Amino acid sequence: MAVEPLLVVENLVKDFEVGAPWGGGRRTLRAVDGVSLTVDAGETVGIVGESGCGKTTLARLLLRLAEPTAGSVRFDGRDITHATTAELRALRRQLQVVFQDPYSSLNPRMKVRDIVAEPLENAGVAPAAATARVAEVLATVGLPAEVMDRHPHAFSGGQRQRIGLARALAPRPRLVVCDEAVSALDVSIQAQVLNLLRDVQDALGLAIVFISHNLAVVRHVSHRIVVMYLGQVMELAPEPALFSRPRHPYTRALIESVPEPDPRARGRRRVLAGDIPSPIAPPPGCVFHPRCPRAEARCRAERPQPRVVGEATVRCHFPL
Amino acid sequence: MSAFGLHGTRSDLWLRLRRNRNACIGSVLVVLVVAVAVGAPWLAPFSHENVDMLAVWAPPGDPHWLGADGLGRDILSRLVVGAQVSLLVAVSVLAITLSVGITLGMVAAWYGGWTETVVMRTADVIFAFPELIFAILIAAMLGPGTLTVIVSLSIVWWPGIARLTRSLVLSLRHELYVEAAIACGTPTARILVRHLLPNIIAPIIVRASVGVGFIVMAEATLSFLGIGVQEPQPTWGGMIRDGLEVLRTDPWLALSASAALAVTIVGFNLLGDGLRDILDPRVRER
Repeated sequence: MAVEPLLVVENLVKDFEVGAPWGGGRRTLRAVDGVSLTVDAGETVGIVGESGCGKTTLARLLLRLAEPTAGSVRFDGRDITHATTAELRALRRQLQVVFQDPYSSLNPRMKVRDIVAEPLENAGVAPAAATARVAEVLATVGLPAEVMDRHPHAFSGGQRQRIGLARALAPRPRLVVCDEAVSALDVSIQAQVLNLLRDVQDALGLAIVFISHNLAVVRHVSHRIVVMYLGQVMELAPEPALFSRPRHPYTRALIESVPEPDPRARGRRRVLAGDIPSPIAPPPGCVFHPRCPRAEARCRAERPQPRVVGEATVRCHFPL
Repeated sequence: MSAFGLHGTRSDLWLRLRRNRNACIGSVLVVLVVAVAVGAPWLAPFSHENVDMLAVWAPPGDPHWLGADGLGRDILSRLVVGAQVSLLVAVSVLAITLSVGITLGMVAAWYGGWTETVVMRTADVIFAFPELIFAILIAAMLGPGTLTVIVSLSIVWWPGIARLTRSLVLSLRHELYVEAAIACGTPTARILVRHLLPNIIAPIIVRASVGVGFIVMAEATLSFLGIGVQEPQPTWGGMIRDGLEVLRTDPWLALSASAALAVTIVGFNLLGDGLRDILDPRVRER
């Protein structure tokens, strides 16, 4: 029997109640709708999608910062879907996160040493050993040990993101969730941080869930890619296949919308019309049908279920 | 956003304090009052209980620089010891209301739900009464005494601190560094003390500084009404009451006690205003 992947997510659903808490204004917003995916050790799974498609909510569910409405999350063979705070605390060491905003993700009142050492101290590492580990992990992300005594405001965005990454790596986690971890950075700094992530992964056999709205960035780091739309997984495929042979019309539209730097290579671009529908009142049938160039009557009536096409898993009645 | 932190180094803060006129004047007055209270045993020329029938209602002069009261007690000595009483009450009330208010405010904001409902509705009930009148009511029920003053003022003053703390915590609890702390397994108590408290303490310090003015004034009011600190312990409020009856003939007692009260209240209020300008960057930029 094959070994179970490090992270197994099945049919994850997260609803939020919106509107007035009393009266008739209360409605349900389904932010994550039946997401299933797996992440192996040493693998990077990229998650792409437009703003508001449920990427960040998914990240919070994977980290158990929020509790799912339905479905399950298994980490290392253990079901953590409804684990208590105390049970989770023991797991946190293996499950780390790098947030989008390098400015608000570091406490302005704490020194770098204390920020990076926090997960270590929570895991019961003695202060001296923690300091040694902090120096080590700062070196890994390319910062000298002297920065330990400074406060975050002394650093640039790229340096802060490295500090955030150092904090995530310090307890030698097995899975790191990067939520838009490079989106706030300049392109040149983005490349540095991405390469750093890859180096660390190669060295430590780390599993990474890499969430971004930027397809190019996701392509650069990921082994497999999940394309999300309105809380659902539209397509899940290995990185080469997704780009060489996109199976879902939405995936193709996304790929075609990436700016092409070479003017001669620019073909006829089909730009998606319309906006993302409200997740409070999702369209019937396939959630993508109002914007899909290939939508037919069946798409408007019947919700497609995920099915395997070639190397990909696609949620479409008429895969390409 | 770093929100409400005390930014920069200590010396930077000191520089800004020196540049702010309100804070300067306020801190000089506050230091003066505190110094007088601490140095009372050495500063008072007489014992504050020393009755001298030959000096009854003596005008200012030698040896009673500010005159003597109806029992011939030295007014200056009683003023100095009165500062001790006022500050003792203020410090006690602050200690109680800050610890209770900050703790309850944080817990309410963090856990929400019925915890928040119970804490905040209780605060609202107390808030619904005018502070001073409610304090008088409680003091009248408890019976006079220094402890009564401390208890009644604490009861009316903690809700303000709890509300302020709660709103500050609510504005910070979804900051990413708090999420990051949860995600790396930091226990809740540690998150509150280590991540939130240092980032919300500045506005609370401002509030406390302005609050001392109110507490000193309220203590004087209770003592003036006779339901506060009792004889033979000298208090400014009590001295004003004693002096009021003879204001036309021998105004020294009421006037000197009123002046002491005014200096203290103005001092703490100026310091509070100054600190707000210094610590709150949004106000400073105006």
